[in-house]
Amino acid sequence: MEMIWSVERLYAALNEGGAFAILDVRNEDEFAAGTVAGRHEVPMAHVPYFDFIDDADAALARIPFPKELPVVVVCAKGGSSEFVADLMRETGWQAINMVGGVARWADALVPVSVTPAGHPWTLVQFNRPGKAALSYMIVSDGEAMVVDPARDPEPYLAAAAAHDARITHVMDTHVHADYVSGGVALARSAGATYHLSGACGYEGDLAVSGHPGPIRVGRVKAIKLATPGHTPGSTSLHVDGHWLLTGDTLFVASVGRPDLGGEVDPWARELYATLSGVLADLPDDTVVLPAHYASYAEMRPDGVVAGTLGALRRDNEGMQAGDLPAFLAFIRANMRPSPEHYATIRCINLGALEPTEDQVLQLDQGKNQCAASMARKG
Amino acid sequence: MSEMQADKVLDAQGLKCPMPIVKARRELDALAPGAVLKVIATDKGSVLDFQGWARTNKVAELLGQETERAADGSDRFLHFLRRK
Repeated sequence: MEMIWSVERLYAALNEGGAFAILDVRNEDEFAAGTVAGRHEVPMAHVPYFDFIDDADAALARIPFPKELPVVVVCAKGGSSEFVADLMRETGWQAINMVGGVARWADALVPVSVTPAGHPWTLVQFNRPGKAALSYMIVSDGEAMVVDPARDPEPYLAAAAAHDARITHVMDTHVHADYVSGGVALARSAGATYHLSGACGYEGDLAVSGHPGPIRVGRVKAIKLATPGHTPGSTSLHVDGHWLLTGDTLFVASVGRPDLGGEVDPWARELYATLSGVLADLPDDTVVLPAHYASYAEMRPDGVVAGTLGALRRDNEGMQAGDLPAFLAFIRANMRPSPEHYATIRCINLGALEPTEDQVLQLDQGKNQCAASMARKG
Repeated sequence: MSEMQADKVLDAQGLKCPMPIVKARRELDALAPGAVLKVIATDKGSVLDFQGWARTNKVAELLGQETERAADGSDRFLHFLRRK
């Protein structure tokens, strides 16, 4: 019987589905803000670790799982879950401690190849389940490009090294408001060109390329398409004429919220123009690769979050809206308060604010709220 | 400087959860009813955890919490608990 799981092991188990349960032992507020989850739902319970300190027997009696079922114990950093898992094992449970806790879960990146084996170049989707955020790496002939990287540059540098490639281009599709971008840090460490639309208003000291010309990554040609709406600077990347990295403009099941910047109507009109203009010209078999998902229903069986434009034209809520008035009505009906810390994250990503390590860690937690329509159970 | 008076001080600096509450519980058990324990912690998670624990436990009530900035710029989280 395993005593510990890594976050990657837990993510794989949640995706495959299996007979186990999860016990979250953090405090009420942390549990209420969201916990570990994946494609398959497993039995979940919450008993704070300090209840086990007060009266272990009473707390153990509140665990609603049979002792035959392995229980993965989760806390903030992995210390309290180890303490509870030890107590549980003493009383006959098969308890597994998730090492590193939700802190590590929040940062974990799971790479999945989008291009099939044997393809002459590689496109990888990095899933960050703690954020439901997706970043990408194009690798061809010793060169690599990373799009919408998460805060920590290290996994991308390691992935490029594993492909014997050097990262030559880094791009953010827009100014992210829901997570601290690793774009600038990664471009700096790799000595790569950093791409961000001039409409974003970057204020930091890194030279930013707003050049519209095609980007060459080995044999791959990637073209920037201006797709404003979610933000005025939102840019999609059309890769090799077939794959479309849409950032937060277009998701598999919905479209990006144009209301996060506080300019609902003008931005919603721009988004409508993008959807009915530049994106309408692309063929049905174009593969849309977004920067987020709202539910695991948007994930294909192979683990890639993607959909063809043809399928999205048929099923995506934001593309179903019809004419402009109907689209504006759809956006307004789905509006909800913008999380308070999004303005701060936007400033950090624009290089206008130098946060401390602690602030970054605190700001960069929790799931995104970027899709116009609300998450449905997947 | 803290204005709250304590009968006993628990230095939990450098300890990670669950240890600040494990040790606080042990100290409180040895205190007389009404006595106040001051816990000094460096783990930021202790702030919400002591609040959560205070809502359910039977040995102590949380009188208050304070944050002090040490000379090196790091934060110390103070928790004042009264033995029930």
